[in-house]
Amino acid sequence: MPDSDHTTLRASSTSSSSQWYWTAPYVAVVVFAVSMLALVWLLQTREAEGERNAAARDVQWAEQTVRLHMQGTEEVLGQLARDIAGGVLDADTFQLRANQHIANNGELVNIVWVGEDESIRWSAPFDATDWLVGDVLDPSQAVVFQRAREVGRPVYGLPYPAADGGWRLEVHVPIRNGRESRGAVVAVYSVERMVRYLVPGWFAEKYRLALLDGQGRTLAVNSALREGEGRVAYELPLDPPGNGLVLRATVFHGAGGVSRLLPAGLILGLSIIVLWSLWTLRSHVQRRVQVEKERDRLFNLSLDLLCVVGLDGSFRRCNPAFERVLGYRAEHLQGQALLDLVHPEDAAATLTQLRRLAAGEPVNFENRCRCLDGSYKWLVWSINPVSQEKLVYAVAHDITGRKAAEEALRAESAFRKAMEESVVTGLRAIDLTGRIIYVNAAFCRMVGLEEEELMGMGPPFPYWPPEEREACEHNLALTLAGRAPPSGFEMRIRRRNGERVDARFYLSPLIDLAGRQTGWMASVTDITEPKRIRAALEAAHERFEAVLDGLDAAVFVADARTDEILFANRAFKSIHGFDAVGRTVRGVAVPQPERGDYRVDPRGLTVADLPRELFDGELQHPLSGRWYHVREQATRWVDGRVVRMGIATDITDRKQTAEVSRQQEERLQRTGRLITMGEMASTLAHELNQPLSAIANYCAGCVTRLQGGHGRPEELLGAMQKASFQAERAGKIIRRIREFVKKSEPRRSAVQISEVLDDALGFAEIDARRMGIRIHAELEPDLPPVYADRIMIEQVVLNLVKNGMDAMADAVADERVLTVRARPYGAHAVEVAVIDRGHGIDEEDRLRLFTPFYTTKAEGMGMGLNICRSIVEFHDGRLVVDANPEGGTIFSFTLPTEAASERAARRA
Amino acid sequence: MSEPHAEPDQYIYIVDDDEALRDSLVWMLESSGYAVAAFDSAESFLEAWRPDMAGCLVLDVRMPGMSGLELFEELGRRHCALPVIFITGHGDVPMAVSALKRGAVDFIEKPFNDAEMRRLVEQCLEQERSSRTRRRTEADIARRLEHLTQREREVLNLIVAGKLNKQIADVLGISIKTVEVHRARVMEKMGAHSLAELVQHVVAVEPVASR
Repeated sequence: MPDSDHTTLRASSTSSSSQWYWTAPYVAVVVFAVSMLALVWLLQTREAEGERNAAARDVQWAEQTVRLHMQGTEEVLGQLARDIAGGVLDADTFQLRANQHIANNGELVNIVWVGEDESIRWSAPFDATDWLVGDVLDPSQAVVFQRAREVGRPVYGLPYPAADGGWRLEVHVPIRNGRESRGAVVAVYSVERMVRYLVPGWFAEKYRLALLDGQGRTLAVNSALREGEGRVAYELPLDPPGNGLVLRATVFHGAGGVSRLLPAGLILGLSIIVLWSLWTLRSHVQRRVQVEKERDRLFNLSLDLLCVVGLDGSFRRCNPAFERVLGYRAEHLQGQALLDLVHPEDAAATLTQLRRLAAGEPVNFENRCRCLDGSYKWLVWSINPVSQEKLVYAVAHDITGRKAAEEALRAESAFRKAMEESVVTGLRAIDLTGRIIYVNAAFCRMVGLEEEELMGMGPPFPYWPPEEREACEHNLALTLAGRAPPSGFEMRIRRRNGERVDARFYLSPLIDLAGRQTGWMASVTDITEPKRIRAALEAAHERFEAVLDGLDAAVFVADARTDEILFANRAFKSIHGFDAVGRTVRGVAVPQPERGDYRVDPRGLTVADLPRELFDGELQHPLSGRWYHVREQATRWVDGRVVRMGIATDITDRKQTAEVSRQQEERLQRTGRLITMGEMASTLAHELNQPLSAIANYCAGCVTRLQGGHGRPEELLGAMQKASFQAERAGKIIRRIREFVKKSEPRRSAVQISEVLDDALGFAEIDARRMGIRIHAELEPDLPPVYADRIMIEQVVLNLVKNGMDAMADAVADERVLTVRARPYGAHAVEVAVIDRGHGIDEEDRLRLFTPFYTTKAEGMGMGLNICRSIVEFHDGRLVVDANPEGGTIFSFTLPTEAASERAARRA
Repeated sequence: MSEPHAEPDQYIYIVDDDEALRDSLVWMLESSGYAVAAFDSAESFLEAWRPDMAGCLVLDVRMPGMSGLELFEELGRRHCALPVIFITGHGDVPMAVSALKRGAVDFIEKPFNDAEMRRLVEQCLEQERSSRTRRRTEADIARRLEHLTQREREVLNLIVAGKLNKQIADVLGISIKTVEVHRARVMEKMGAHSLAELVQHVVAVEPVASR
């Protein structure tokens, strides 16, 4: 990123210049400190000089004082000496005056009068132990005594150590009485006391005062302090005694040294403090700079949009994220208004937020901003106003992705919600303690309770039926223990209205995002209907088996490829052994068709070819000689396999019966045809009349024209051609009659009974009109077609109608109504009834009615009803006769419908 | 064979469902010089029927849909004056007889003799012709009667009743002179040349009025 490089460069240049800034204060502080120290040193030097001078003065002054004191004592001693010499002085006075003097001068220890014989005469004070009266001077003292006697002036002896450790100094003042020497008055000084008492207190405070002998030995000192090196000392010879004693004063530097060092110390200390604080400041500033740099880097590196916006809404500063997110370069944005970027739809909302911002409130909002390429991005803004600076600081985060994700999530969630609500499977979640934490709409519907009622509910649940509570509790315990069977529980649910619903609960653990199990999810399926269906299926299956087992026919199902028997009914097993299932058909069942007899090879069939008939035929058992009707069909087995289903029916008896009936049928046919011919004579005559009349007319026309002489040949030709065509037509009719008569066997087909009745009644109408009888047809609409031979049935109807009309020949005009009725008879037959209002048939006649050649009619043959019955029975129907409650007779017969006949045919 | 005496506006209308029979009949009758119109069903004839149809009708008794008999009855309801000949088949005779009773001219049984057919047709046309002439004259007289004024009508009634002018004048309370004027006007309007003719006309159309 070029920007950040640039920034780094700038930062380094500023750091080098700041180095300069930072060195200057240090140098200044050091120079200041040095100069101050120099100043202090100068001052102190000067002060020491002064001090030395002062010390000299003070020492001189002290020497003077000591001298004065000693001279004073010399004076007193001299006085004493003179008094002694004068003899005016007795011992007590001496004692008094000496003691007084000693008391006044602390430095004095003893004042003694030493006689000429060098023995001590008087001694003051009394209690002196080392100067006892009578003692003789020791030689050194004697020397001094002698000298003093000689010179006649006070002479000081050499200091000597006393018994108590201190030094003593003696001054011998000669006593002279004229020329007579009378010894000397000796005063003993304690050198220590001299130092201590002869100088005033302030001096002792200021100086260390020592007395040194000629050899430089310190005899006494007024202070315990030792003399330091380099101290200001001043020595002055003490005279008297003048025998090499030196007074040495040393200035005490205790307090003075401290005060002298203090300024320098302060200066140094302060300088150090200043330096330290500077360094601290520097490191602080460096830290601040560091922080600022970091902040700057963060500002530049931030993925979020950061900007400073003026209160007028224009950008003041933007970070590079603007370019990354929106595509605008930060410097281009400067001065541009924020609102210019906002999506027009969001502008109003954004403006509201900016107003709040202007009022000093920090705001958070979302809007869409236009990118450089014209697209829009969703941004979430967090803006903080700083009213003092009249600026707002804004952070914007690109949430386009999140928005899209949110949108997707919302859609997903809505989809899930819809799914949950629309599934018919009930969903119920419980936590690990068994409390309900979720139910969906389907579950609510299932139990008839509201979601609010169920939520948070613990066991026992209200939908547990009281009678099955224990089982429910057991199941719940199993569930919570995690031992619910994978096939689920079958439980009964009590609905709010008390209704019971069978349901199956499938349970699975409810796992949260962290992978912990939080409960159990149950999917609940209403199995009331499936259960009922299953029960119904089972019942149906039982019925199916019962029916199959009840059949006389042997039924089996075998795999088309392997020939293995998959199913066999009781009849099959009883014929071929009860272990038939599992064996092959070829191994057990005889008789059966050869492979080549099949219409198609069953082994090559696929499911798409099914169902297909394989074989339908009659086979004879080679051993028993019995006949079987064997029918095999390829069909699809329950597991999808192609199987052969075979049904073998023992038809030995039927075959015999059929043979008998076939012979009967032939006889019937012969009779029937004769009757039909007779019945149709009238119709045929009419049919023939038409062409014959036409031929006659054409011929007559031709004759007329030829006679009139105006017959044009082409006209005549046309007429003659037409005539010959009509002759052909007549020929066809004759031929048809012949064919009809020749017709050897009945042809049954699907016939509309209404059409048959229309035709039959059409013929009957002619006679009916002649006899003044109304024929009333009652045909129920939508009658199913019957399976019959049309002509034969027509014959039956016509016969019955004619009988009925004949029966009504003598009836009164109003009652001459013949009703022909057709209606369904059961599910598989149609009944046709011919109802007359005639004379009726008495019981005896009715019994003989169907006897051949029995007749009540003068011209009858007595064959009609018999044939009718044969025909009806041939059609698998029956003909019955009943008395009409309204008077007369009802003949009715039934005919199977086409569908029923088809089934029958298939059975056959 | 005698020439047919059909007027040019007279048609023989044939109604038969059997095409061959119809066509052959047309052929035969046209050969004899009649104008023939053929219809294949009773319904199609009824559709074409107009009150001023002249001629005669040959009807097949048995036809699908409307039978010949029913057509005959329908025409009766419509006051159709066409004479009708029925063609019947074997066994239809009783039916044809009942039709005859109800005013049909005759019936002819299939297969029929052409001469018989021609005779019947001729008879029918003749009958229709005369009855039509009569109807036309009567209509003419009736129209003329319409044109008479109230007074003229009263005068006419009295004339037909055989009253003399004087008696008429007395009855109506008018002068003989006036009666004579009315009488002359009546004679003129009725197109009668004599008193006998006038009375004959009036009686022909209004037998009741004459009483």
